[in-house]
Amino acid sequence: MSMSITIRKVILYTVYILLFASLQVSFPDAISFRGQIADLMFVFVVLTGYFFGFADGAIIGLLTGVVRDCFSSPAVVGLDGKVQVTVGIGALVLFLAGAFGSAFFTKKLHRSIPFAFLAVAAATLIYKVIGHAVSFFWIKVLGNGFYSIGIGEMILDSILPQLMLNIIATLPLLLLLRFLGPYKLGSVTDKKDDVIEAYGENSWFRI
Amino acid sequence: MKKILTAKWFIVAATSLLLIAGVVLSLIPGSPLGFLKVPFAAIATPVQAFVKSAGDTLSDFWAALTDGMAIRQENEDLKDQIADLQYQLTQNEEAAIRYEELKEAFHIRDTFSNYDIYGASIISREADEWFSVITIAAGKTDGISVEDGESYPVVDVNMNLVGRVIEISDSNSKILPLVHEGFSVACKVNEVNGASMLVSGDASLKNSGLCIVTNIADKAVLEPGTEIVTSGDGGLFPEGIPVGTIVEVDSSNPLQVTATLQPYTDIKDLEDVFVMIPYVEEVAETDSTAGVTEEGS
Repeated sequence: MSMSITIRKVILYTVYILLFASLQVSFPDAISFRGQIADLMFVFVVLTGYFFGFADGAIIGLLTGVVRDCFSSPAVVGLDGKVQVTVGIGALVLFLAGAFGSAFFTKKLHRSIPFAFLAVAAATLIYKVIGHAVSFFWIKVLGNGFYSIGIGEMILDSILPQLMLNIIATLPLLLLLRFLGPYKLGSVTDKKDDVIEAYGENSWFRI
Repeated sequence: MKKILTAKWFIVAATSLLLIAGVVLSLIPGSPLGFLKVPFAAIATPVQAFVKSAGDTLSDFWAALTDGMAIRQENEDLKDQIADLQYQLTQNEEAAIRYEELKEAFHIRDTFSNYDIYGASIISREADEWFSVITIAAGKTDGISVEDGESYPVVDVNMNLVGRVIEISDSNSKILPLVHEGFSVACKVNEVNGASMLVSGDASLKNSGLCIVTNIADKAVLEPGTEIVTSGDGGLFPEGIPVGTIVEVDSSNPLQVTATLQPYTDIKDLEDVFVMIPYVEEVAETDSTAGVTEEGS
């Protein structure tokens, strides 16, 4: 990869990470519905993995996750029973989201644009289900507290609105990533597919 | 061996384990892992501030364009209001002088007079339903510091409860909002000897901006519209900070009556908040000075 391509990639990825993170935490009300917020950082990372492969997805996921932790970390009841700000949950979630995006039907669908929506929907669904499961486990089992969300509320007030918002957010981000970069249009897809095939990343959810 | 180390499943598993270990370590009291965020925050925070400022400017510009006619009419109305208010101001200045005289005469205690109030703008809000801590632009460099296990109340411009400080760095602080499921505060009905209760955030009510009320005293008669304020029990929150009003009471289980509370403050509408810090050190210094004086004399 030439130096100019690398520089372009680094600059554009940096701009994307800071821009999407800033937009999401600065104007959440402008992109929210039924209490949920369109997760621009999450969608960006999944699409990066889906279009540009494992290395891009994982590294960009990790970096975006750290920025997410800086701006708005989760607060949980710590080991001493007090509420504490955590470090690393955002990095873990977005790292796995990037890896998931890179392993989602990549070769078989030739990283097609329509199936990018499916990749985002699947990743969102998994994130929300695991998120609720972990919250339930942490509050109810470890903390012996009361986890008050029922299955119906979980689906109607959390999972479905988040799915809808993330799918809507996929369109502009997808156009941006696919046509503006980090790579010039047409310069990456063929080469990347060769790489993907060489590394065996050619089947459904195979890492 | 090299093949295993470069395999994707190994990279995913190893990185995940490392990050999980980091998360668990960050939950240990006094964990230094928070400092890892500092270099990233140093880059990301100014950019985010710029994006927010640019967004606000655009929003204001658009509002100026669309609201031009309305603003002109509003301007006329405001001019009339200013004339009225100037008259009222003169009247109120006299009333204020009388209030000060009466306050001194009757030794009225100002509930919050023992607190320093630090104003700060909200930098970033929640990223999703779990990443819900709010960051404000006030930190150690602004004179705010928090010892391990301590916390400070945060209120809005009308002194309504917003949340509490849970972490402070050099230039900013993290706020746990009132609706977060980890938040709870001892409260009472806003009347003399009002019945006590516990107001907490709730996972299922959070998205609607509501809180749950539990541990309601037997003598309490709650009904929609009942005003709830902090009771001062527990020591963190001073007595009398307005919290919200009751919107619904659930008496289906007479042994465990609960209620739903609508907080007065809506974080979505807030731009600035105020951190309340008690004069603990000043009192301690005064005490020690008094001790020295007494010993000296």
